[in-house]
Amino acid sequence: MKLRTVFGIAALLLVALSFGPRARAGTVKGLVKLPEGAKSTRLFQGYWRLENGNVAVQNSGGAKAETVVVLDNLKGKAPSARTVTIELGGLDARPRLVVVGPGSVLEIKNTGKVRHELSTPNTPQLMQVESLPPGGVRRQKFDAVGGYVIRDSEYPHIMISVLVCDNPYFAALDEKGAFSIAGVPEGKAVLKVWTHGHWAAEQEIDTASKDELVVKVAAPHSKSEDKEGKEGE
Amino acid sequence: MFLTKIWFFLIALALAVAVTFAVIAPRPIVQKLSVLEGQRLDRAQYAAEQMFKVDAHKWIDRVGKLGRDAIIAESLDAASRGSGESTVIHRTIQDRFRTLIPDLASGGIDVIAAVDNKGRVIARVGENDKEYGDFIGGAELIADALRGYLSDDVWGIGGKLQRVAAAPVLSKGRDRIVGAIYVGAETGSALVERLKKNLDVDVALLLKGKVIASSRAPGEVDALPELIAQHTNEIETVKRTPPLSLTVGQGKLLAVAAPFPGQAGEQQAYYALIGAQPASTSFVSLIGGTTSEDLKPKNFPWVELGAGVFLMIAIGLALQRLEVEAPIRRLRRELQKLASGDAQKIHDSKYRAHFGGLARDVNAALERFTHAPAARSEMAGKDLGAILGPSGGSTFDLPSSDSAFAAGTPAFAPPPAPAFAPPPASPGLSGPPPGALAPPPLPSFSPAPAPSFPPPTPFSASAFSATPLGGSSSSNGDAKESAAAGGGAAAVRMPWSSLPAAALDDAERQTDQEATRVVPYDPEEEEEAHYRNIFDDFMDKKRECGESTAGLTRDKFMQKLRDNKAALIEKHNCRTVRFSVYVKDGKAALKATPIRE
Repeated sequence: MKLRTVFGIAALLLVALSFGPRARAGTVKGLVKLPEGAKSTRLFQGYWRLENGNVAVQNSGGAKAETVVVLDNLKGKAPSARTVTIELGGLDARPRLVVVGPGSVLEIKNTGKVRHELSTPNTPQLMQVESLPPGGVRRQKFDAVGGYVIRDSEYPHIMISVLVCDNPYFAALDEKGAFSIAGVPEGKAVLKVWTHGHWAAEQEIDTASKDELVVKVAAPHSKSEDKEGKEGE
Repeated sequence: MFLTKIWFFLIALALAVAVTFAVIAPRPIVQKLSVLEGQRLDRAQYAAEQMFKVDAHKWIDRVGKLGRDAIIAESLDAASRGSGESTVIHRTIQDRFRTLIPDLASGGIDVIAAVDNKGRVIARVGENDKEYGDFIGGAELIADALRGYLSDDVWGIGGKLQRVAAAPVLSKGRDRIVGAIYVGAETGSALVERLKKNLDVDVALLLKGKVIASSRAPGEVDALPELIAQHTNEIETVKRTPPLSLTVGQGKLLAVAAPFPGQAGEQQAYYALIGAQPASTSFVSLIGGTTSEDLKPKNFPWVELGAGVFLMIAIGLALQRLEVEAPIRRLRRELQKLASGDAQKIHDSKYRAHFGGLARDVNAALERFTHAPAARSEMAGKDLGAILGPSGGSTFDLPSSDSAFAAGTPAFAPPPAPAFAPPPASPGLSGPPPGALAPPPLPSFSPAPAPSFPPPTPFSASAFSATPLGGSSSSNGDAKESAAAGGGAAAVRMPWSSLPAAALDDAERQTDQEATRVVPYDPEEEEEAHYRNIFDDFMDKKRECGESTAGLTRDKFMQKLRDNKAALIEKHNCRTVRFSVYVKDGKAALKATPIRE
């Protein structure tokens, strides 16, 4: 009886191994090194930025939190289409970055006291400049996969990033710039870094590798540094 | 003439260089001026940037001082904790602001606002000072201040630019942030005027592709936003544009634009510094810009210019004198010597170029007309009677020794003839003294203008008066008849053979003037011309002597001369005969001179 049971289990295991999924799921970890300017909580700097000298300054939030790592060219279940509400108030947008699946709808509510002029300047056919008065709502559907930026021409610091992904392999950075994406199937993939409203870095990776990735992001508006960043990968 | 030509060439060359310089020089000058103006604008832009930087720091300092005010700090602390009446806190802070800064406008302040630690506006002074309670913590400047930073920014809201600075407000114990204060400085026409005053350049402020303030006249810099938009790459790289050329009516402007920092930079917010550019590169426009001050002796080298012009003229005149006037004088002196018989020919080797050629031509002409000087002079000056001899028939009176036809008087007289051996003369004939032998009048190669005759009348042979040689009374015999007879012993004295000496001189001068002409030699044509001249001279002399010319026609006169010539040639076996006109006893008379060779 015992022998029969053992053989039975062995046979089941064999069958399971023969017909089960061959790809193993792993975790892609790494560190994104952002340029000094991108580490700031501000998108736009004036001439001076001085510490007060008494109370320790806080360096979290702001534009710094708008960095996401996305793995492309991998098959996986896309995030389901949904409606995401973004509140515009207090001269800020909350949240500033959303990652959604294709067909998702962005609902922008103006809860503040000022008028906003919203558009997607890089893809003007998607959202043209339209005034959003206080209390108004504007909805926009995102069907195509890609990264989109919604800007406010009156308040340029208001920047809403919309990433439409066809797989679930993405992650935001922590305060130190580290990221971890779990359940990634083995294979070749393209790691892309979205920060401050644009794809800042892109590199091909082998998800089977257990080495921790280090992705250097070049400073914006510097092509030479872009090149250096890619070479440093 | 060579040096004179060279001199004129050099002057023309210098003039061409000067004109070329005048045409070309303005262009590099204007380019240089543009470069200099561009550099000036670059320096002005750097100065403006430093000024903005200092201004920003000044605003940060001010707002930092406000944040250290105890009343404001306590009020914001209360507001942040939610303790106290918001209206009271609002008024308290407003009053404190107004106490600390009584005149916002003089300080160039648009607005001062205090926010609690959540970014809610507690109080404002200046713009919208009645509004409060709204949240502005999302603005990066305010958020930064609430994080603990003192910073500045430039906003472009509502079509206006505003330079802003914010600072955190610390609690009384200075251990936590209880709020923030921000100040907004007007950045419009007041800033433009201040920049213009400090930098001595025109200024324009741009936002979202529009000029929102400018020290230039409205509309003059409307093209600036589009121009700047074409240089976004340079702006991203070096934070400013190169000097941009801007046409405004007839003039041109140069502008250097630089972006404002902060979020306004994302809204195409620029400040442009504008200078004038030389409008035109033409010589005329540069001259048009000349002032009387530029022409004063201390600024313009009048003395040097005058000296240069004088020197050029002096050199030109000296060369002309050396190469033109001096040879002409020498040639004239030689011609005078030639005319007076002191010289036989012109020393053409002493003359260069055209003068040498002229001298050689004169010598050649002399050679040609004298041919065999000895043979010619042998016959020269003979009166017709002497030539024809006792049986030679008609002859004409000889001119007096002081006549213009006396030897050596013509301008182109042949060299003095050797001793002339006249043929034996009849005793009855009064031959002229040897010294009175005159060369024949030089032929005129260009017939003199036809005299204006009265209506022709039938020729009357009686107009000729044959005068017996030796002063015997003239018979009424026809000269033609006498000449045709060829054997008349009496010398024929023509009735018109008395011409005034002045007329003779005129004829001589005319002949002299024309003698320098070089034309192909045709004996018949030359003889015809000679006859025409003789006729003209004869007519002139007759008129001068008051004699009638009625019935005297050229053809008849010339036929008469031909007949006489034929008779004389036959008698004396000479080659030809030359006639001349002179005045004898107040009447025009003809003289014939046989020429053997």
